Amino acid sequence: MFFSVKEKLKSGKSGSNRRTRRGKRISVLYLLPSVIGVLLFFVLPFLIVVYYSVVDNPINHEFVFLDNFIMVFHNAAFQQAAKNTMMFSVTAVPLAVILSLLLAMMLESKIPFQSQFRTFFLSPMMVPIASVVLIWQVLFHYNGMMNEIIGWFGINKIDWLNSSYAQVVIVVLFLWKNLGYNMILFMAALSSIPKDIVEVAVLESASPFQIFWHIKLRYMSSTILFVTIMSLINSFKVFREIYLLKGDYPYDTMYMLQHFMNNTFGKLDYQKMSAAAIMMAIVMVIIIGILFLTENYFGKDVEG
Amino acid sequence: MKKGKNKGLFQIALFAMCITILASGCGKKDKGEKEEKEFAYVAEYAQLDVKCEHIAQTVAAGDVLYMAGSSWNEETEIGTNYFYKYNMLEGTLELLPLDVSENSYINGMAAMKDGNLAIVVNNSTYDVDENGEPINWQDSMEMWKVSGEDGTMMDSIPMDGILGDENTYINSMCIDGQGNYYLCNGDSTIFVLNPQLEKLCEINSDNWINQMVSSKEGDVYVTSYGETGMEIRKIDPDTKSLGEKVEGISDGYGDRQFFTGLSKSFLVGKSGKMFSFDLSTGTEEELFDWLSVDVNSDYLSAAGELSDGRIFAVINDYSEENDKTDLVFVKKVKASEVAAKEEITYGAMWVDYNLKKNIISFNKTNDKYRIVVKEYGSDDYQTGLTQFNADLTTGKCPDIIDLSSINYSQYANMGILEDLYPYMEKSGLKKEDYLENVLHAFEVDGKLFGITPQFYVTTAMAKASNVGNVDGWTLSEMLDFVEKQDPENVFAYGNRSQIFYYCIYNNIDEFIDWETGKCSFDGEDFIRTLEFAAKFPEEPNYDDEEGISAKLRSDKILLMQGSVSSVQEYQMMNGLFGEPIAYVGFPNNERKGNLIQTTGGCMGISSKSKNKEGAWEFVKGILSQEYQDSLIQEHGGWGFPVKKSSLEKQFDLDMTQEFYEDENGNQIEQTKTTWGYDDFEMEIYAATREEVEAVRELLMSAQKLSGNVNEQMMNIITEETEAFFSGQKSAADTAGVIQNRIQIYVNENR
Repeated sequence: MFFSVKEKLKSGKSGSNRRTRRGKRISVLYLLPSVIGVLLFFVLPFLIVVYYSVVDNPINHEFVFLDNFIMVFHNAAFQQAAKNTMMFSVTAVPLAVILSLLLAMMLESKIPFQSQFRTFFLSPMMVPIASVVLIWQVLFHYNGMMNEIIGWFGINKIDWLNSSYAQVVIVVLFLWKNLGYNMILFMAALSSIPKDIVEVAVLESASPFQIFWHIKLRYMSSTILFVTIMSLINSFKVFREIYLLKGDYPYDTMYMLQHFMNNTFGKLDYQKMSAAAIMMAIVMVIIIGILFLTENYFGKDVEG
Repeated sequence: MKKGKNKGLFQIALFAMCITILASGCGKKDKGEKEEKEFAYVAEYAQLDVKCEHIAQTVAAGDVLYMAGSSWNEETEIGTNYFYKYNMLEGTLELLPLDVSENSYINGMAAMKDGNLAIVVNNSTYDVDENGEPINWQDSMEMWKVSGEDGTMMDSIPMDGILGDENTYINSMCIDGQGNYYLCNGDSTIFVLNPQLEKLCEINSDNWINQMVSSKEGDVYVTSYGETGMEIRKIDPDTKSLGEKVEGISDGYGDRQFFTGLSKSFLVGKSGKMFSFDLSTGTEEELFDWLSVDVNSDYLSAAGELSDGRIFAVINDYSEENDKTDLVFVKKVKASEVAAKEEITYGAMWVDYNLKKNIISFNKTNDKYRIVVKEYGSDDYQTGLTQFNADLTTGKCPDIIDLSSINYSQYANMGILEDLYPYMEKSGLKKEDYLENVLHAFEVDGKLFGITPQFYVTTAMAKASNVGNVDGWTLSEMLDFVEKQDPENVFAYGNRSQIFYYCIYNNIDEFIDWETGKCSFDGEDFIRTLEFAAKFPEEPNYDDEEGISAKLRSDKILLMQGSVSSVQEYQMMNGLFGEPIAYVGFPNNERKGNLIQTTGGCMGISSKSKNKEGAWEFVKGILSQEYQDSLIQEHGGWGFPVKKSSLEKQFDLDMTQEFYEDENGNQIEQTKTTWGYDDFEMEIYAATREEVEAVRELLMSAQKLSGNVNEQMMNIITEETEAFFSGQKSAADTAGVIQNRIQIYVNENR
């Protein structure tokens, strides 16, 4: 009897091992297309970018180590682009997060025309980018509507797209385009906060600010992180609008890192483009790392 | 257990499918390349021992080609028409006894079903007055029916009255499967006649008819330019209208020639290639590139398919001193049957007319190498440039790079181009035998990165009495001069942006210090230039009846932008101004404003080429004495050779007087040619030594290449000055924005 149980256990164990091995093989097969895809479309291009960043140009392929990084770092256009991109992100991303959070909270409270407001803020997402740019050109043209309006108040015409005001225009455009989406994400997050905790806080005479700060914000920390990262990524994509507005070489306050990279790519200066892209990626990794750490710090006590 | 087994098989199948999908992209290409290498097309020329120099009309009836040509006897001043029949399978030529009189012109030929021919002939008759001059011209049109067998006239039917108007002109004819005749007036009208030559209908097209052609199926089609490019529509005599546009013909306004097919509905010649087009499926298939069979498709006048599968083409070369007609047969053979040659790739945005001739000639004569052309800009320039750049970075760089339409210095700085001086030295081509300024224009840091066989000078001209004997000026000198003279306009038909462009075009680097990266577009000079240009009309005035010559002579306009491509053109310019000219060119600080415009191809060798010797073999050809001498032209017009000895021969020819003998036996100098511009025309006689020396000086004064101006910067300037010229912004504000935007460009490129 004992012998047979042992036998049974033994055969059961080897059967389970076989199943595990088979399961592993199958999971490898399932994973392989994705792995190939990631290798082919993400890892390989990244390695190519790294390669181009350490050669003199894409034709000669002469190894120059960090020369391209040094050259690009000292390039005035790159510095300008990095400064503008940073300024834009530092301004536009917090505004996009804070304003959309406020809008979400406003729409969460019982206000009239709630659904109309929601539609209003979401509508920019449905407008094709070329039309957005066209509208913006009409609004902010030297002879456009904006200058008409400020003219009523006796203010001189401003060349919005060819002056230091250009970045203001872009920030407004960015917010107009992105607030709706962020707002919906925040509304979803707000609705998922456990009602009982809020009710307990109300019963314990917590002020609305205390409820917001100690409960809602903590529960929404992961959404805030997500929205911040998405907004940060979208802030780099604002190049598309600027490019459609002013082409390869806009006024200097609108000149972004993506312009630098696009223009250098067009002139076959892959080495400059790659070095700039790697430096930008490093900064992005650091920023996102900091955001994760912050989120961990604020949201650790509410996450399972 | 069974279920588990099936699941496993499904998983394996799924995985295999994924791998297949991933790998499928490469497989197709390999197959295509294999097929490409398996077959090749080769051209053979027929021996046409015809008495006429020029074949004007051809028509094929099956494998037989009928040709109508003429020859002109200089001594007797009598033209003779000939009619030939050529059996394309047997290669036999026969002169048919069809009598086409000197004053008869064949306007259209078509083959009938029975193998006989229908020919539309225009007869001119006239009387002669007492001075021997023709008077009382009368034209009549006839339809001849001619035996395809022996060329005898079977019938001649007067067409007067049939088409409705006796003065109707016909320039082409087709016959459909029912024997109906389609006659096109060369404009937009088609007359349809039944086999008895009774008029069935008259159909009008909305657009000018480019060509009328019969399909293999026996219908007749017309081509015309529509909204998206060339369109082809069937002529429908039943509805008396044109049918819907045939789908499947690719869009585009490039020229397309349609020929009746045998295996497919049509043969189509376009973009230097031959295609077949099937009406039933609406599909187009590329057959071959004319350049790859060493045939210049620019001269293609007729083509068709033979029963043995070959394609015949009639090539009428009008570029030679005497017209030349060739009959070419193109056949598909196994690639192994073609003598193997090393392929040299010539990459160009567009292939220049002379370059095409040059490549064909090289391929025909060189036993070792063969030039294969890769044309990048056939769709559009930007796409072509992107593709070219992609080829450079992926190691598919052409062996020879055409520099005519690209910023050669950018590529030279990246080390893409080979220094040609060592090659010249090795081949015994001495640098000093060529115009130094032209070679110098292609130099970067003392290395020669490009070469051109021929060039002319782009310049601006002014009266020497106004500006003095100068060969250049600075921007402020130019502005001072014009402001002092206060003319009606700077140029004929000049507008603000054109004048501004002239001031800045060759001068843009004066506003940039590349060493420090500082720009000065917001400085006084630039603002002054903007304000200066704004004084002139916004739109050019084309309604003025006074011509350029009269305006220049009366100082209503001061400058003329133009080119000097021959001594004769120089002589004409002197006549146009009515007094000595100063070739001041475009303003710049060095007072070197005349620019070199290359022509006939402009090429460099890729430093990454695996066959630099082969590439040089072709490139050196354009510098050879033989080729340079072939560029010498009797009456000029295409440019000057870069080899000094050939240039001297050109000058000698330009100075050679031509005479005729008058009734008293005296030798009287006669005009060499006639040149004209706008309202002015003059007869050109042999040039004087002084004129030739002046041209020589002008040629030597040009130091920079034309068209090498930075496009990005010009775009920024053009974009921003628009608001200023339309009065929306001040000059200072405009200059400020230009300064700001160009500064980024400069910073980026340092």
